[in-house]
Amino acid sequence: MSLLAPLFLVGLAGLAVPVYIHLIQREKKRVIQFPSLMFLARIPYQSVRRRRIHNWLLLLLRLAAIALVVLAFARPYLARPQRTVTGTGAREVVILLDHSYSMGYGDRWPKARAAAKAVAASLSVSDRASLVLVDGNAEVAVRSTEDKARLLAAIDKAEVSAGGTRYAPGLKVAGTILGESSLPRLEATLISDFQRVGWIGSDAVELPATATLTPVSVDAPATTPNAGVAAVSLERATFENQERVIVTASIANVGAAPLAGLDVALEIGGRAVQTLKTDVAPGAAASVTFQPVTVTGPNMRGSVRLPADALARDNVRHFVVSPLTAVSVVVVDRAPGSPASSLYLTRAAAIGERPSFASVLRAPDAVSEDDLRHASVVVVNDVAISSGLGTRLRTFVERGGGLLVIAGPRTAWSGGGDLLPASIGGTSDHTRGDAARLGAVEYGHPMFEAFRAARSGDFTAAQFFGYRMLTATADSRVLARFDAGAPALVEHTVGKGRVLLWASSVDLEWNDLALKPVFLPFVHGALKHLAAYAVPPPYLTVGQVLDPGQLAGEISEPVALTPSGSRVPLSGSLAQVLTVAEQGFYEVRGARAPGAASVIAANVDVSESALESIDPKALVAAATSTSGSARVEQAGLPLSPEAQERGQRLWWLLLAAGLAVFGAETILANRLSKA
Amino acid sequence: MDAASPIPGARFVDPSVLARIGNLELVSKSLVDGFINGLHKAPFFGSSVDFAEHRGYVPGDDVRRIDWKVYARTERFYVKEYEADSNMNFSVLLDMSKSMDFGTRGITKFDYARFLTACLTNLVHRQRDRVGLVAFDSDIVEHVPPSAKHMEVVLHTLEKLTPSRPGKLGPPLKKLAEFFGRRGLLVVISDFYEEPDAVAEAIFPLRFRGNDIIVFHVMDPSELDFSFPDASSFEDLESGVQMPIVPEGLRDEYRALVQAHTQALQKRFAANRVDYAVLDTSKPLDFALFSYLNMRERLMRTR
Repeated sequence: MSLLAPLFLVGLAGLAVPVYIHLIQREKKRVIQFPSLMFLARIPYQSVRRRRIHNWLLLLLRLAAIALVVLAFARPYLARPQRTVTGTGAREVVILLDHSYSMGYGDRWPKARAAAKAVAASLSVSDRASLVLVDGNAEVAVRSTEDKARLLAAIDKAEVSAGGTRYAPGLKVAGTILGESSLPRLEATLISDFQRVGWIGSDAVELPATATLTPVSVDAPATTPNAGVAAVSLERATFENQERVIVTASIANVGAAPLAGLDVALEIGGRAVQTLKTDVAPGAAASVTFQPVTVTGPNMRGSVRLPADALARDNVRHFVVSPLTAVSVVVVDRAPGSPASSLYLTRAAAIGERPSFASVLRAPDAVSEDDLRHASVVVVNDVAISSGLGTRLRTFVERGGGLLVIAGPRTAWSGGGDLLPASIGGTSDHTRGDAARLGAVEYGHPMFEAFRAARSGDFTAAQFFGYRMLTATADSRVLARFDAGAPALVEHTVGKGRVLLWASSVDLEWNDLALKPVFLPFVHGALKHLAAYAVPPPYLTVGQVLDPGQLAGEISEPVALTPSGSRVPLSGSLAQVLTVAEQGFYEVRGARAPGAASVIAANVDVSESALESIDPKALVAAATSTSGSARVEQAGLPLSPEAQERGQRLWWLLLAAGLAVFGAETILANRLSKA
Repeated sequence: MDAASPIPGARFVDPSVLARIGNLELVSKSLVDGFINGLHKAPFFGSSVDFAEHRGYVPGDDVRRIDWKVYARTERFYVKEYEADSNMNFSVLLDMSKSMDFGTRGITKFDYARFLTACLTNLVHRQRDRVGLVAFDSDIVEHVPPSAKHMEVVLHTLEKLTPSRPGKLGPPLKKLAEFFGRRGLLVVISDFYEEPDAVAEAIFPLRFRGNDIIVFHVMDPSELDFSFPDASSFEDLESGVQMPIVPEGLRDEYRALVQAHTQALQKRFAANRVDYAVLDTSKPLDFALFSYLNMRERLMRTR
């Protein structure tokens, strides 16, 4: 029996308290006055001795309770000898091989491979082994095989990946394989550099109770210089009608030595266009801003690159930049050339920068197929729509376009079936008496995102003197209501597109909303929402998942081309979810089309650059603590007293026993005092 | 309250009830009245007015006491003498030491003794004997000399008494032995927490002076059976000394010691023709009176 916190034994001095109380208690006992002790004095001391014996039980209970509690606080554990052999019989061995990109540092990877091969070499004929490659995810390379050659081949084939480190998935996979095994001895070996970033304390990992986990650390002191590109940010600017982008890179020095005159190169399309020098102190980061670069066309590939060092993967950061495209808006108005009713709407749209809105005015009968093909959003501003146009608009929306219908005094809709989210009824006139106001607004909706925070726009300031009574359909969603409860803004989706119906005008005829500060963000929000506008991120991180539908767009038979050159089909029966696993540029293109439709830059997780390691024993203790009997078996790594104590948890039993004795003491003391 | 008694039909009163009455005169009167009514056929009733003898008139005798019928027959003056005229001195020697101030049944030993004294005094006074009282602890505290007129004084003195000091029989009784030179009846009431020899040594001088002595040994029931349940500290009322005691452990031994003590007293008193009775304060007071009169009768017969 050993103690983790022997200093708590000082608390045993507390044992004197009940003894003292018992002595005091004896003096304070009830006094009976008696005429004379003449006879009693002739029977000396026998009574006293008896009474002491009588109270011994209570005293012992109290002493035992205090001693148990003190002992519990001292955290006792049974120091078990480190066994090197766990019984006999065939073994189920799981080799967890960390192949995150930090393993590429120095000679870690050859050492890790050698360690894995050593484990494979130790297998006997009846043993079975699995190889699980661990980075951000766990990949079972070989599952429970007796074929040693196959296992060695898999180890040889394994390469350092671009992923970060997370131990939990690999340990869970190992737990599953060991749990399913019928062999008597269960063993797992974790070969890793034990990076701190790979273990989150809250990861709930549990190996089977009889399993052992052996850590093999290939961690070596990080002495060589190591710098990485931590981040790249892009700032867009327009210069002489040319869109330019200013690239700023953050360079982090995760090595121990200061870096002076480090070359930071900006590559565009694979060619270095600028090189800057910078100094970075150890453990610090420096920011490098390059000269503006003109965005020449869509999917322009760029990289920020550092000279090669001990850890190569984090020396480059790729990005993709495309020129911003304006959202094309077709406004269908009753009087082209005199844009009175659409004045506020078009002016508001013209102010937009990200995105910018390119709006054209069309009379209802002048809307061409070409207009609809290029438009992202069509605004029908208080006009009567014929059935023909209604049908075309429906096709437009089903294809993915957005439609904003403004229901003013002249609005009539005769075609398109159930294209509108609500049926347009009569007019509610508020020119006399109090004007109507907007009441409930769904601030949770994306188009009201700008107003979501407190005091971010007051819709109730606008007065409405007239609006059309809307009756929302079942599948639609009312985004705003007037104070009387009538729907003011209704939305639904048709095909791939969305339709918004606004119950009043957007000029000053029926309301003064256009004069209120909320009007501009309201219009921008509605148009962005209808156009499904989103700024593509400049790059993704390894481990993220691409949305094939969003990537493919309207490409027929889309395929993704990975940086290593393999093709991944994104549609049809062979469609795969595309997980970003490699560093570089992914291309999505049509199977038969020559050019890339879209390009995605993929970068490594920058947190993996931090090479600080944790104590393997701590990880092993955490992974095996919940099972209680699981323990580490490693000649070079004896289980720490903390881990042994945590595994046994004797303090808990002692504390419970102490409390139970306290309970018994209470009962006994009550009985004695009542007797 | 009726209680089991050796006298059929007699009405005994619980001492604790008497303790609530408080007024000694009332208590003694009611008890003695009832007692005399119940025992009116007792052979010694009226013994004090029995005719004893005639003697010749001497100058100084009260002329009213001349027996004129004898003078008519004999023409000589004779004076009638009655037994009662030879009045007896009756004194109660009451122990008022601190140890008497103890009681567990609603009445202390001292109150019980006080009632007993009052009743005896009342009874004796009705028999026209002279009554007196001596209260003592380690010394004489109150002394009312025997007198036919001292009944009220005795009762009044009894009212005032409060036990406060440790007691010792020897010194006060030694002084009293000097005082009670004339033959009389002495009643000693005490709890006798002294060695039997010391008790005998204190009392016998009184006896040797020719007094008839009746000894009442007053004990609380708990002193006799030691029925305390809890282990406690016992404090001596007189000395204040404390002693931790588990009663159940030494109850038997204690009882044996008390019994041996009373037997030793009984033996010594009997040897010198001193009447001795142990009175339990839970027993009715009438019972004590009956004991007294029973003894008194025996004394008279043997006189």
